[in-house]
Amino acid sequence: MSGFVFFRLLSEVNARIIRRHVLALREKSYLMVSVITLFIVGYWVAGYAVFRVGFSTLETVPGLQAILLDRMLFLFFAFLFVMLVFSNMIIGYSTIFKSQETQWMLTLPVRSLDVFRWKLLETTLLASWAFLFLSAPLMLAYGVTRHVTGWFYLKVFLLFVPFMAIPAALGSLVILIVARYLHRRMFKWALFGCSAVGLACALVFLKPMQAEDLDQAQMVAALQDLLHNSRVTAQPILPSYWVASSMIAWGEGGTGRGLFFFLVLLSNAMMATLVCTTVSRRLFYEGWSHNHSQGRFQSGVPVLDTPIVLPRTGLLERVVNLWPGLDEATRALVIKDVRVFWRDTSQWSQFAIFFGLLGLYVLNLRSVAHEWKSDWACFISFLNLGASSMTLATLTTRFVFPQFSLEGKRLWMVGMVPYGLKRVLLEKFWLSSVCSAAITLALILTSSWMLRIPHWLTLLFSSTVVVMSFALCGIAVGIGALFPSFGSGTSRRDDNPAKIVSGFGGTFCFILSLMYITLVIGAEVWPMYSSFAASGFTSRGQPWNLVFSWIFVSLFSLAATCIPMSLALTRVESLEI
Amino acid sequence: MIRTENLTKRYGELVAVRDLNLDLPQGRFFAFLGPNAAGKTTTIKLLAGLLKPTSGRAFVGGYDIQKDPIAARRVLSFVPDTPFLYDKLEPMEFMLFVGQLYGMQRSEVVRASDELFDLFDLDNTRNQLIENLSHGTRQRLVIASALLHEPKVIIIDEPMIGLDPRSARVVKNVLKKRSQAGVTIFLSTHILSIAEELADQIGILNHGKLIAIGNIDELRQMSGQVGALEDAFLALTREEQREVTEPA
Repeated sequence: MSGFVFFRLLSEVNARIIRRHVLALREKSYLMVSVITLFIVGYWVAGYAVFRVGFSTLETVPGLQAILLDRMLFLFFAFLFVMLVFSNMIIGYSTIFKSQETQWMLTLPVRSLDVFRWKLLETTLLASWAFLFLSAPLMLAYGVTRHVTGWFYLKVFLLFVPFMAIPAALGSLVILIVARYLHRRMFKWALFGCSAVGLACALVFLKPMQAEDLDQAQMVAALQDLLHNSRVTAQPILPSYWVASSMIAWGEGGTGRGLFFFLVLLSNAMMATLVCTTVSRRLFYEGWSHNHSQGRFQSGVPVLDTPIVLPRTGLLERVVNLWPGLDEATRALVIKDVRVFWRDTSQWSQFAIFFGLLGLYVLNLRSVAHEWKSDWACFISFLNLGASSMTLATLTTRFVFPQFSLEGKRLWMVGMVPYGLKRVLLEKFWLSSVCSAAITLALILTSSWMLRIPHWLTLLFSSTVVVMSFALCGIAVGIGALFPSFGSGTSRRDDNPAKIVSGFGGTFCFILSLMYITLVIGAEVWPMYSSFAASGFTSRGQPWNLVFSWIFVSLFSLAATCIPMSLALTRVESLEI
Repeated sequence: MIRTENLTKRYGELVAVRDLNLDLPQGRFFAFLGPNAAGKTTTIKLLAGLLKPTSGRAFVGGYDIQKDPIAARRVLSFVPDTPFLYDKLEPMEFMLFVGQLYGMQRSEVVRASDELFDLFDLDNTRNQLIENLSHGTRQRLVIASALLHEPKVIIIDEPMIGLDPRSARVVKNVLKKRSQAGVTIFLSTHILSIAEELADQIGILNHGKLIAIGNIDELRQMSGQVGALEDAFLALTREEQREVTEPA
């Protein structure tokens, strides 16, 4: 069968499947669909407003407006490019090497090259759709700032196609080499090693803007420094440079120059795809076979030659055993959940990248640390609380929400233990809450220390993130159990957390989490703002009305924890396994 | 139709399949038995071309599965123990998709599907999504789709799991009839009665090594047992286990 016919058949089938998924929305609650639609529209409107204000502000900087606007695009696309490479690597590993569909396709009378090409396309779309969604308001704001016509947006959309193809090819190339030549365990440690080196390099070489630079008198000089320090993103060798240059040229009416960079991008995308698929001829099948020929037996111990394999007491067991008051069943569930998470490449690799980015964020806070005496510091500290909360919401939605669905086909096993599914659900809630609280508390304490904010405010923020951890985990576990995505016995959905999260329940969970965070932060910012507004922002006073707001936050968080959890506990009681 | 030459697969230090030599002619119904972790699934994956052998060769329908995989897969149907289906398709849509992947005309697929749906009692599921079907119905659908393109070789791993007695009987009858019509069947199972009932030839794999091959009488003779296949199987594998655990 020709590759073309194979692609046509798969496209038709996938179009039908997507249509069925969309039609299935009719069976969902109108309220939820409305909330999600409202959120999407709200994001686009708010995103557009923020970018528009930002671009307008940049336009007011004398002499530098055009170059600053352009540099923003270079920075944005350079950052996006790196993120897309990582995203393609992670999703590609699951889609190309772990999916049951790939195994099935490899038994069909089609070339393995065509199977790889299809999987590459699937990876590209899965890894990049969010990019189109998130960058749409930025593109619109840029176009409005540049007073462009409607054609500009169509051209930009076409520009994104080759731009998405390059990181997809690069990411898949890395995955092909890794799957073929590295053992899974080596890959894990290689990634940790690379992350550590990357973080160390960032610590040494990143020179963010300093707080004193924000002084109006020094603003122009500081911006020049910013341009100097970000010049690496304006290197003509980068795909992000080509896409940004093409956009800039089209925005300014330079059709020829825009077309030139589009063609540079297109030819490089085609070349990258060609290299990737050419390499796949040698490495895809070999890598697939290699990947499925390892890790089948425990720690390299040949099970067949060892009649009895006794379970060892590892570090994890010893750590969990230290926890007081846990009965054997809960202990076993905790160990199982942690172990399964650690052994799932798609889970821990995203977790590692997530915390790598957080590390960069915390490192950057050094630059805004100064005396606690300005409204700027107050603003930054609450922004930090907001950022930490958003991080937590992303963490709970991405990693906690799919936990119940991930039990999938194994649900009957944990559901049939004498304690039942309620106990399983509660174990997941406590485990995720304690872990999330520990991570977020460490984050908020470090960032507060770096920002040198007063102890009483650190205490407020710390206690807030602890209650938020419990509430956000309550929402994630609760919604995860209320809207599980088990698929079926032969489904490709229930074993891929990224796909579970991208579904309806995951979106709803994230939106609820964001709404909760907005209310909590708002409840704490408002009394702080009114107190400071009355006594002056430079006052060292401690707004005692914050105590009342904290009580409100705690009660509200208790409700946010208990309502979804109790609904979920009721639901699992009647769940047919 | 299925031939292996010193087929070997190693997982690091462990030899999962060791120097396997098989030669199954057209129409042979071969049952592949062995204890857990004997290397049955690895052998099946090697035959289906899903794994690359460490050494040796495997031929399906006369084609080397590594050198000429597309030609080999055209004549092959592989049904794994955990088959894949698209949840959001209806059974007929899935059959059309699979048939067209094997280069069949749409009308040809519809005609063959009608017969298979009738045979496997799948008619009442036509308008349901696969996600709503029971495990047994899904299993029947997978087997039906595997027969759609009239393969010359069928490799099937644990086909009876999840099937009710009536469905199991249907599957057994269909496989036996195909075998009598010239299709080579390679069936891996733990259910010894199925092997006893259907197979022309039985192979027993233990520790990656083919320790016995022959029809039931030959296996009885090898094992020195006179009873059911179960006795012969246990005796042969026990013998092998003793050799492994108590080296001379």
